[in-house]
Amino acid sequence: MKKHKVEILVGLFVLLALASLAWLTLRVGAGSLPAGETYLIESRFTNAGGLHAGSAVLLSGVTVGRVEEIRMEPSDYSAIVNLRLLSTLRLPTDSMASIKTSGLIGDKFVSLSPGADEIYLEPGARITMTESAVDLESLIGKMAFGAVDKDAEKKDQKPE
Amino acid sequence: MKTLLILPALAALALGDALASKADAENFLKKSVSEVVEVARKSPDSAALASGVRLILLKTISFDAMTRRAVGPGWRQFTQPEQTETISLFTALIIQTYSSKFTPGELPEIDYKSAVETAPGRVEVSTATLYEGSKYEVVYRLEQPDGKSWRVTDVVIEGVSMVANYRSQLDAQFKSGGARAVIASLHKSSASSK
Repeated sequence: MKKHKVEILVGLFVLLALASLAWLTLRVGAGSLPAGETYLIESRFTNAGGLHAGSAVLLSGVTVGRVEEIRMEPSDYSAIVNLRLLSTLRLPTDSMASIKTSGLIGDKFVSLSPGADEIYLEPGARITMTESAVDLESLIGKMAFGAVDKDAEKKDQKPE
Repeated sequence: MKTLLILPALAALALGDALASKADAENFLKKSVSEVVEVARKSPDSAALASGVRLILLKTISFDAMTRRAVGPGWRQFTQPEQTETISLFTALIIQTYSSKFTPGELPEIDYKSAVETAPGRVEVSTATLYEGSKYEVVYRLEQPDGKSWRVTDVVIEGVSMVANYRSQLDAQFKSGGARAVIASLHKSSASSK
């Protein structure tokens, strides 16, 4: 009887641990917002590489929102990123959104920088002043292989 | 029935306007850039180049908008004389920095890639610039601050926005010492870049 009791307790403990792990995975993966009313803002990037639904949106290092959805704009092949922000946050129309990385190889997030305008972005409005993800591979490539040689490029373009 | 006929007409009109403004902005930029290239070609030395480029930049860039945005939210707490002084210092700094990147006689090769209307009255023109052996992706952001003429309000080089770059520095200055700290840092930058 005593043996069964111990087994049941161990089983409950394992179940509790698994549930905690699942909750933690969901919270970290999908991201969550602090409680409160929210609204959506669009932002247009030429490259949203590394960003995903659930990525954090920070302002002065404080989480103020999450990436809700990323889609491609077929007319100019840009990336439209929908941001869900806390409704207590009012952003001037000249605010900037930049895609940054936590550390060198960390997760990508959107960093907001408020502007100076006295008119504020309405829900559904679009932030056009953006900085896309810096392509580290291409920068390393430029450093590794050097600059383009102007004369060589001209020679290559000449018909044989 | 009438509504059905009017709606496509309005849509076509709006599309026509968007295409026209995109083309106007692109033409304005091309004209300004070709003027800068011409000055770089003709200038015998750096001083002549800087003074020639200055005149073109003053009519191409909206320094009021650029300064306001570079300072960020703190701008609203500047007094009128502080705002005027900041615009003047920031204008001088940008012109000095831009002119110093050019070598008299060296001409850039610019490939205009696409112009996109990102929002009504806002156009982005992407280019690939080859200068002194290095290739750069440069995006020009243009707006109509007065509702009529196009002006450059930001330049994004290799993904880094000029306004964002200055905003991160000037906003920190403002938070540490208000408008006077921003003005002092601009004075210092101007003096060191001379």
